[in-house]
Amino acid sequence: MARLRALIAFVACVCFAQAALAQTLQRLTVTQLTLSANQGRPQVEVPFDLIVTARVRERVSELRNLDLPVLSDVELLGDSQTIVSDAHGTTYTERIRVVAHHSGTITIDPVTLDAVDARDGRAKRYSSNSLTLTIGGGIAAVAPHVDVLGILFTLLRWAIGVAALILIVRLFVRRRPAPRAQPVAQPLPPPVPVDRTAPTREDLLRDARVTLAAHRDRATVLQIRTIARGMVGATDAETLGDVLERTQAGDRVMRDLLIALERAAFTYDDDIPTAVERVLLALDAATR
Amino acid sequence: MTRHPRLLAQALHRTIVGQDGVVEALVLGLLANGHVLLEGPPGLAKTLACRALASALDGEFKRIQFTPDLLPSDIVGTRIFDQHESRFSTVLGPIFANVVLADEINRAPAKVQSALLEAMQERQVTIGPQSHPLPDPFIVMATMNPLDAEGTYALPAAQMDRFLVKVDVGYPNRAEELEILERFAIGDTQPASAVATLGDVQAWRAAAHAIHLDDKLKRYIVELVAATRERETTYVDFGASPRATLAIAHLARAKALLDDRDFVVPDDVRAVAPLALRHRIGFNFRVTTENVGAPRVLERLIASVPVP
Repeated sequence: MARLRALIAFVACVCFAQAALAQTLQRLTVTQLTLSANQGRPQVEVPFDLIVTARVRERVSELRNLDLPVLSDVELLGDSQTIVSDAHGTTYTERIRVVAHHSGTITIDPVTLDAVDARDGRAKRYSSNSLTLTIGGGIAAVAPHVDVLGILFTLLRWAIGVAALILIVRLFVRRRPAPRAQPVAQPLPPPVPVDRTAPTREDLLRDARVTLAAHRDRATVLQIRTIARGMVGATDAETLGDVLERTQAGDRVMRDLLIALERAAFTYDDDIPTAVERVLLALDAATR
Repeated sequence: MTRHPRLLAQALHRTIVGQDGVVEALVLGLLANGHVLLEGPPGLAKTLACRALASALDGEFKRIQFTPDLLPSDIVGTRIFDQHESRFSTVLGPIFANVVLADEINRAPAKVQSALLEAMQERQVTIGPQSHPLPDPFIVMATMNPLDAEGTYALPAAQMDRFLVKVDVGYPNRAEELEILERFAIGDTQPASAVATLGDVQAWRAAAHAIHLDDKLKRYIVELVAATRERETTYVDFGASPRATLAIAHLARAKALLDDRDFVVPDDVRAVAPLALRHRIGFNFRVTTENVGAPRVLERLIASVPVP
């Protein structure tokens, strides 16, 4: 009997603790949580920034329960935070200035954010990506006692010599005008949302419905249209007709949604309220 | 009570087997208040399609067979001296009709073509000291045969530009040809007559004019036309004129009306763009020598512009 009472007391404590925790958590719709660095290959003894970016749908003045990783391989020099809210939510950015004292590969653990998911009311832990950086051996680290200026001058002389040689060879060898420079693909930004509970199609559409119900305007419709087109794999060159033809055997609910979105995106201003209602109905059907 | 313009397309289909593109282009041209040029080998029902449209409209129809000895006055009219009255009187030519079929337009010399095309643009004809407005609605449907080059006078680009739409009429498929055989085996079928009145046409045009064209689509149209000037230099000598921009906008509105919508969507623009651009782009000899084909180049150009 005493054991049973103890068990009941333990369960009650756990429940109470969880409820208390849930009450302190913010109710958020987290759309992005990333960790990146401002330098691709930081150097020893050269300060660089770790950047934490979090984006939520709600307008908030702070992000509580954001846990930064323990920085064991680098020295913390300071940090700064900015928080910007607009009509579409809030963007939180934290820049952590650090410096590495040893060369080699280091791994920074993910940033975590505890919050109650505004979509389903459940407490969740969101996690960013981890970050692996290769710290290059700086001049000071490699040979602190060597004449740095002398090395630099030697390297500079070699570089000028090689460049002059390449220039001479190109002048003699090249007969035709150089082909027009092709646009160089920009490196991809760091991977976006690393959320352990990746939103499903229904989550996104439910989210879209909430947003559209709050902002019944063409700009919101266009954003949802982009998301919906992305869901069916529409390319830039494809019209709605192309997409519907391609997905002829696809689900009817999505087709209805795309048609409703097309109307709301291109109809005249007076018709937008009615068109938005149609989109909301289609979203209801898609998330049912 | 105004009838729906789709009735007109249905009436044409009762006479014309297949050729959906031709039928739609004719109706779109009518709704967008423009003129239509049909090009294709003989025997593909180009003339029949024009006659069927004229018959479906309750208006006046005239047909002009273009020949090398035709004179401008044979089209627009002339002034003759009346001996009884001892004064000049004006005789109006066959162009004074609601629907004019200019059959084999490239068989008449340039000055005759110019007389017709000027009337198409100005929608009035000046004979002697007096100007005579053409009836409203006024639509010219011209046909052209691309195979017999001998004894023809090719339409210059500036004159081609006057046509809102140019349709390349292709051969029917086997099933359609079988249906042609069935339908025309007994005798010549009579086209449906008086499906719509001239008042209907005017009401349709007013409705098409009021259809909403979103700013995003206006920019899309401008980008499409700009692409014909900038994106393709291998097969294109010159791109389409701003008249093409206007033509696409008019046709897209007409297409939306035909599809029972009061706003234009990107699909409308994409559907009508080839009709308005094909004859306004100067394709060079490489299109033929490299066997690429103007439609394919045009298709590629249109696909290169992102849809809004």
